[in-house]
Amino acid sequence: MKKIFLKTTWLIMAILVFANLFTFISGIVLSDEINSFEQKTINLHKINLTLEKEAANLGSLKFAREKAKEYSFDNTSTPQSLDKLGYAYRPVKNEN
Amino acid sequence: MKIKIVFLFFIVFYLAIIVRLFLLQVVYSPANKSSYLKTTKINPVRGRIYDKNNHPLVLNQNSYQLFLEPKKIDDKDKLTHLLSEGLEVEEASISAKLDMSKYWLAIRGGLTQEQKDKIDKLKLKGVGFDYQTKRFYPEASLSAHLAGFLGKNDQGEDVGYLGLEGFYDRDLRGLPGFVETERDIIDRPILIGVQQRVEPENGRDLILTIDKTVQEISKKKLSEGLDLYKAKKGCVITADPKTMAILALVCLPDYDPEKYYLFTEDFYKNSAISDLYEPGSIFKPLIMAAAVEEKKIKPDDIYDETGQVSVGEYNIKTWNDKYEGKITMTRILEKSSNVGMVYVGEKLGNKNIYNYLDKYGFGQLTNIDLQGEVSGYLKPRSDWYPIDYSTVTFGQGIAITPIQMIRAFASIINGGFLMKPYVVQKIVSGSRVTEIKPKIEKRIISSLTSEMIKKMLVSTVENAEAKWSRPKGYVIGGKTGTAQVPIKGHYDPSKTIASFIGFVPASDPKFLTFVVLYEPKSSPWGSETAAPLFFEIAKQLIVYYGILPSQ
Repeated sequence: MKKIFLKTTWLIMAILVFANLFTFISGIVLSDEINSFEQKTINLHKINLTLEKEAANLGSLKFAREKAKEYSFDNTSTPQSLDKLGYAYRPVKNEN
Repeated sequence: MKIKIVFLFFIVFYLAIIVRLFLLQVVYSPANKSSYLKTTKINPVRGRIYDKNNHPLVLNQNSYQLFLEPKKIDDKDKLTHLLSEGLEVEEASISAKLDMSKYWLAIRGGLTQEQKDKIDKLKLKGVGFDYQTKRFYPEASLSAHLAGFLGKNDQGEDVGYLGLEGFYDRDLRGLPGFVETERDIIDRPILIGVQQRVEPENGRDLILTIDKTVQEISKKKLSEGLDLYKAKKGCVITADPKTMAILALVCLPDYDPEKYYLFTEDFYKNSAISDLYEPGSIFKPLIMAAAVEEKKIKPDDIYDETGQVSVGEYNIKTWNDKYEGKITMTRILEKSSNVGMVYVGEKLGNKNIYNYLDKYGFGQLTNIDLQGEVSGYLKPRSDWYPIDYSTVTFGQGIAITPIQMIRAFASIINGGFLMKPYVVQKIVSGSRVTEIKPKIEKRIISSLTSEMIKKMLVSTVENAEAKWSRPKGYVIGGKTGTAQVPIKGHYDPSKTIASFIGFVPASDPKFLTFVVLYEPKSSPWGSETAAPLFFEIAKQLIVYYGILPSQ
């Protein structure tokens, strides 16, 4: 009886030790994951802002003006002019 | 016996642990809580600002604040030298801030990711970065006065100043959240501990009535106009006259909202809403409309313009001191006759003049949704002298803001409705969209009077004494104005405020544009400065809106 009690006690102790170890290690692993996801979320937010900035720059009039200057668009062609209504209101040709 | 001793030892040992844990977690709990319970504020993202076509005007961008922990610094001189290279600032400016007795020092905010990476590579001890966001303006200063800027208050918190940033600060700011977690010694969350998170409510986005392209056209043309006419400053306001939705609002000179701190306060002032001026002749149609509405005159009534008119001790004359004899009311506007307007004022009566000034909203805020508006002052009737009633008919002796002027003018061409001007048409909070509708303040004149005034204003443009390069085939209504500037109780003849207000197309106005130039040097007259500038802007807007010629 005494032997059974002792063996059972040792068994429970061993199980508790392993369970404790498992919980402790799992806790550390999960904590690291939480930290990692928090950092990833912050980075995603930063990337999001950077991409938003780049997209806004590409769609800006400032960028269009720079490109127009680069291609001499403003010097060599006049796409909009009320003095040349024939150009501005050129009728669309009907293909049919 | 040995086993019993060991067993007893374990029992005592575990009891001691339990007692100690009880003391730490229950008895002394509040005192120790702060050592492992960490509360972090989650800053909300400030709302963004878009034009009417959802093109961004104001966004947020990543930014970093560089700080130093002087106690961890090994070599002060080396660090100062490397930081000055990395930040591209003088070594002396860093040395001046570097107090080795402090634990933490903020050195410089607003650093870009590239600047941060560059300094990170140096691997300097005692150098760190705090993450922040700052405003980003894809169109640079295109809407500087409209947007306002984001500065700091006494506590170092972000606060919007002037324009939309100031007016909608509470909407744009949002509400901060917080996260409360129990953390271990190396800052990992303790899973069985307290984990509480309240999400921040991000700032609301604003969708404006402003059209980026109209704004760009207005700014470009105004900038050219200021150079050409050598004016001190100027404004262009374009609105939909039916709703008073502002399509463009530009005043120059302006400032860079991202580097607002490099400019003096004078540059922050939005003249369109914050400057008072005497409007001059563009005021005449308002008095004329009131007189037509009160059935005191008709457009074809005749006035005998024989010469100067005396009011008390003052003589009132036309701008060129020339008189045409018998002229119609329409002709009074065409030639911008001051003496003719005195006649109209007399027919309307002093009481009506005052009542209509009040009805048009002068001396009151328009309540446009921009911070910094001033109301001006309409003195009580008891303080008015007879000469005041005469001069106000041609826009002298009354101080108003450009936004009050364009609002009042819109009312006489939109069927008689005085509208509340507005810049924001939608406020977006997540999936919830709050629309801001046009608001009628009151009705001032009938639609019949409005139609008559529109015809008179078309005739004013077509038969004006100055000939402008107008877009061919388009019917345009408008009026020039040249106001003298009062200085120390008298008018300075060398300084004027030149203006033009016009609408296109006259039959069903798509836009109403008001141009005002302060102290132009090339010519003092509105007809030779503001009017040509208006037609330059109108030509571009006609193409942009695809308005077809009607003649």
